[in-house]
Amino acid sequence: MADTFELEESADIPNSHAGDHHVVHESTGIDNRKLGMWVFLSSEFLFFGAFISNYLLYGNRDFDSVVPRDIYDIPFTSISSFVLLMSSLTMVLAHHALSTGDQNGTKTWLMATALLGSVFLGGQVFEFYEFVTVKDMTLTSNPASSAFYMLTGFHGAHVGIGILMLLSLFGIARRQGGLSEKHGMNLELVGLYWHFVDIIWIVIFTIVYLLGAS
Amino acid sequence: MSQTAHAADHPSTKDYVRIAIFLAVLTAIEVALFYLDEAVDMNGWDGPLLVGLSTIKFIAVVGWFMHLRFEDSFLSRFFSAGFVLAMTLYGVMLAAFGAIAIFG
Repeated sequence: MADTFELEESADIPNSHAGDHHVVHESTGIDNRKLGMWVFLSSEFLFFGAFISNYLLYGNRDFDSVVPRDIYDIPFTSISSFVLLMSSLTMVLAHHALSTGDQNGTKTWLMATALLGSVFLGGQVFEFYEFVTVKDMTLTSNPASSAFYMLTGFHGAHVGIGILMLLSLFGIARRQGGLSEKHGMNLELVGLYWHFVDIIWIVIFTIVYLLGAS
Repeated sequence: MSQTAHAADHPSTKDYVRIAIFLAVLTAIEVALFYLDEAVDMNGWDGPLLVGLSTIKFIAVVGWFMHLRFEDSFLSRFFSAGFVLAMTLYGVMLAAFGAIAIFG
């Protein structure tokens, strides 16, 4: 019943593919899955905004134990940031390759994005390990360290989920010899998610690391 | 939309590479500003400059890599609404606690 309604609604919309066997669910002129992803990403601003605000509240204060701003390794984090930034390039190239029908290019760029994301995540794990074991700054050392680990940890979790989605798409492309129109939309959605994770890191790198340490 | 038409609507591979180089250069400038601020007194200009560069990077990724500048304005409004709501909510909260002084 719901599908029938959506077909009727989309019949007057130029972008609709109501005549195709692949039904596009839309009532706004925009694919509902894409709209849903943009709304989700919009809500993520509130999620990360809370953690960034929490860091801004506590990150600049002094405590008896070591605080994050005293132990940042800016050159190391700068390289990590560069790696994540370049993963956005490989992601958009994967999407571009699919839009031009280059299935091999799509698979290559998808894997490159997952690898760059893994390098970034590995760097974050290394940073956390150094902070905990060498610098003796744990999650419960003080409110500033808690705020730092919560913010960067949740961002890292987002990167990890993104890598899993990229590898899933790569696996589907390998098994089926390429991505279909349906999976092409999935690639676009994963791409949006991945770029969002990148823009959140752009903010974190500036506010938490560069401004925090200066 | 056909694949050819879709490709014609969007930037080329070269355009994407140029944008990535632009973003990498901005990141390098950010890091250089950080060390410049340690070497010479920038009279508090490092904060606004870093935020400005970060904002340019943010807009470039959202506009070009996320294709928002090529999408329906409906999506822009949705996305901007979340951003503005978050900035307003947390901006007021941080101002109330006096934490925004970190920029000045």
